[in-house]
Amino acid sequence: MKVLKSLAFTSFVSALVLCVGQAAPAAPIKVGIVLPLTGSEAAFGEIERNSFKMAADEINAKGGVKGNKLELLFEDDTGKPEVGRSAVEKLISRDKVPVLTGGYSSSCTIAATAVAQQFKVPFLVTTGSADEITEKGYEYVFRLNPPASEYPAAVTTFLTDVAKPKTAVVLYENTSFGQSSSKSFEKILQTINVKLLLKEGYNANSVDFKPLLTRVKSLNPDLVYMVSYVMDAALLMRQSKELDINPALFVGGGAGFTLPEFYENAKDAADYVYSATLWSESVPYPGARAYYDKYKAAYKQATEYHGAEAYASLFVLADALKRAKSLSPKDIRDALAATDMKTAFGPVKFVSYGKKTQQNKLPTFMVQWQKATLNTVWPRNVATDPYIYPVPKWSARK
Amino acid sequence: MQVFLQVAVAGVLKGGLYALIGIGMTLIMGVMGIINLAHGQLMMVSMYVSYVLFSSLGIDPYLTLLVSMPALFLLGVVIQKFLLNPLMKAETILPENQVLMTVGIAMVLTEIIRFIFKSDYRSVTTSYSNATFFVGGISFSMALVIAFFIALAFTGAMFLFLVKTDLGRSIRATAQDKDAAVLMGVNTGRITVITFGLGAGLVAAAGTLLAPVFYIFPDIGGPFTAKAFIITILGGLGSTVGAIFGGVTLGLAESLGATYLGMDYENIIGMTIFVLVLLFLPGGFKRLTKV
Amino acid sequence: MKKSLPPLVLLVVLVLFPLVVRDNYYQHLMILFLMWVVIGSGWNLIAGYTGQVSFGDAAFFGTGAYAAGLLSMHLGISAWWGMALGGFAAVAIGLPFGWICFRMRGAYFALATLALNEVMRNAATIAEGFTGGMVGILLMPTFVSKIPYYYIALALAAASIACVRIIASAKLGYYFVSIREDQDAAESLGIDTHFYKMVSLAFAAFWTGMAGTLYMNYMGFIDPSVVFSLHDISIMAILVGIVGGVGTVYGPAVGAFVMIAVQEFFRSGFFGFFQGLGDMTGISAFLSLSGLLKQGHVLGFGILVIVVILFLPNGIVGDWEKIRRKVFRLRPTGEGA
Repeated sequence: MKVLKSLAFTSFVSALVLCVGQAAPAAPIKVGIVLPLTGSEAAFGEIERNSFKMAADEINAKGGVKGNKLELLFEDDTGKPEVGRSAVEKLISRDKVPVLTGGYSSSCTIAATAVAQQFKVPFLVTTGSADEITEKGYEYVFRLNPPASEYPAAVTTFLTDVAKPKTAVVLYENTSFGQSSSKSFEKILQTINVKLLLKEGYNANSVDFKPLLTRVKSLNPDLVYMVSYVMDAALLMRQSKELDINPALFVGGGAGFTLPEFYENAKDAADYVYSATLWSESVPYPGARAYYDKYKAAYKQATEYHGAEAYASLFVLADALKRAKSLSPKDIRDALAATDMKTAFGPVKFVSYGKKTQQNKLPTFMVQWQKATLNTVWPRNVATDPYIYPVPKWSARK
Repeated sequence: MQVFLQVAVAGVLKGGLYALIGIGMTLIMGVMGIINLAHGQLMMVSMYVSYVLFSSLGIDPYLTLLVSMPALFLLGVVIQKFLLNPLMKAETILPENQVLMTVGIAMVLTEIIRFIFKSDYRSVTTSYSNATFFVGGISFSMALVIAFFIALAFTGAMFLFLVKTDLGRSIRATAQDKDAAVLMGVNTGRITVITFGLGAGLVAAAGTLLAPVFYIFPDIGGPFTAKAFIITILGGLGSTVGAIFGGVTLGLAESLGATYLGMDYENIIGMTIFVLVLLFLPGGFKRLTKV
Repeated sequence: MKKSLPPLVLLVVLVLFPLVVRDNYYQHLMILFLMWVVIGSGWNLIAGYTGQVSFGDAAFFGTGAYAAGLLSMHLGISAWWGMALGGFAAVAIGLPFGWICFRMRGAYFALATLALNEVMRNAATIAEGFTGGMVGILLMPTFVSKIPYYYIALALAAASIACVRIIASAKLGYYFVSIREDQDAAESLGIDTHFYKMVSLAFAAFWTGMAGTLYMNYMGFIDPSVVFSLHDISIMAILVGIVGGVGTVYGPAVGAFVMIAVQEFFRSGFFGFFQGLGDMTGISAFLSLSGLLKQGHVLGFGILVIVVILFLPNGIVGDWEKIRRKVFRLRPTGEGA
């Protein structure tokens, strides 16, 4: 009887230990993600959220991070910085996430990263592009995507090698992204000896650019450079066509000019327009094309560089989590700092240069709308199609 | 000189459309004294109506006028009857509750649309959206020219309606002195409902005419409400001709200001004109002409 | 004394709150609530008591916020000095504001304040060199814990309410109300209405500006679209006042609480209630409902505004008798407070 009891007891305890032993490694690793899921930027928030989820599914299918699955906790910043701030606080204090990523609009990203730095939780910025974000010396903030000032890097070499404009006009929307980008492009123009005839901001969501464009026309610049979101971009081009403005080339500073909606809304007014871009599905990075095709198959719509940024960010986090000595924010931070890998968005290694710290340095590209498709045309070694320059005047088209 | 002419033309054409936005509001403000902060949102709804008809059935925007205007008329009637009329009777410390009600309505309209259509930008691009013709080197946007003449036509029709028809006269009577109108046998409750509906219908026309030229998203209403106010104050409450004057003046001021001062001043220009008129010419254009 | 008892009890509760409730999230909501009490009280003075319904209070809020932020940005001085300056900077803006707007009455006054609000917002956006434009001003908040901010906010809120209470029962308060009820009659009785309107506006600007400097110090990030926002600040201030009850001392406090609670309620999908229910039971209908509520949070808010204005036009405090009658149907009216 006593033997039976002790046998039962031992087997009970062993069963318990076995259960507990099995249960322990299954604790998921929480990743906090801040995105605009409602409000005017919700469309991009959606693309990024879907891309993050796609990446998580792939990583988890392969066993996650050292056996632990990644659990994504999304919070909506509604496009407002103070909501973004509360969202990050909530993720850190209530959900106790050890690492954060996301950050779409520059102003929300600025607010969110400040909180992360304050609470000493690492934040990998995915999209927010204002230069200031990595110029504060915050050791807990890393950025995957290039800063706004570097968007036109490829465009700059095209200008010096091929187009050689003498005068330029810069138009930009009055947002954090627009004001930041235009300032840095102004500096670039100075270094390549192009005379800036006019630099003017406009209120985002303006509908009437004709006064501005009429003035641009009278100045007759060689280059018109615009930093705009998609609808403003479309209107700028349509109204430029209406007014018959013919600079040697129109160049967009990324963002709106590379989205399919730009062409849908501007139609033939978008032809031959160049733009700086960070990524397209034809770039020579591992997994870029695969990501694009997989996203299109799963969600029945195209993705673009924002989605690629999100997708790659999660892989960077997974890599850092694997190398981290523990799951404490500090150790994850140190692991992130040592990142050196290739992703679908490009190579990732955080370096410090100029005023910037912990910024990933990536080359950028130039694309051109040719017959309703966006083709990568510069630099020559990655171009999928030849660039078309000089660009035919409005009256000579069709 | 070329620049000036081009900008002036653009401003006047834009002004025609603005006038159409303003007429609706000047009626509402003139007759009921209601500040309608949902005016731009009503326009936004009509833009979506046109969008839906265009994208799913391929109906040209100029034809959708026949749908969007009555639809918004009905919406206006419903809003006035169930949400605004009751307020006019309530005992409140501050009379401005009615303005806030329109704020709530604006929020609800915007969010319902956002719910259905998301925040994505939509557009109604027709064959004439980008069409222009040139006269002496100055470009004229085809769509805006047509909108300008339609706006004039509506204004003219409205003017005749108010002056020649019984209903129109009742509306003007209510605007001049509500109590006297009641004494004269005017059913002011019904008049206010009809007037709001008319105002909504007119701004619906503006929205439909604007759709091929600009783009559509749920938040597009706000700035247009502001413009409607400026036009109403410029032109004088309840004056249709004043609305044309106000619209064209605002259009010109914005265009010229944006060209010579800078585009980022565009909004400030409108607001400054607004305050200046409120200060120095409170009756608006109407006071100068008594129309 | 009896009338003061509930507010005093409430004050004690509020003082003890952050010590009892340690959750950052709720502390944050309370700080927002207290900030809105201050803004609401300020608005209540100029609109509720003096009858000048301002649609442009964000102009004062933003001025206070930028006063603090610019000190830090341009002069390297801690933004806390903004607390001393912010209120007065806002008053300085309020004076020309009032001088322009008080020439008009009623609805025109309201529109003029709206216009000036927008002018300030646009000006701050354009003046990139001075204000940083849309890139905004970013400061590192001085304290990691929310508790110091909470007590500062509580002090401001208590002070603003005390100020309103004192004014309401003093001659000044009666002058304000007389202007609201019939400005011309007041003028003919010898009350310098222009002067008193300015005084009322000065108070309103002061409190709203102080709330702005609190915001800058607490949130750490401002830009023109945030602090000069027509919808999020000016109109919210009006809603706080109206929902709570205009012309009452405690109305703004009630209004602030209701508005913050409701806003957050909708935004988080009933505080995650349906999400939790869905996670527990696995019924996907709950999860979709939660998602819908979050998507439509502004819609819910807008509907609430409409409902309150229709049925409680004098606010919760103002229409308290009406609420009591409806809710406690058995009790006869006239039961003294």
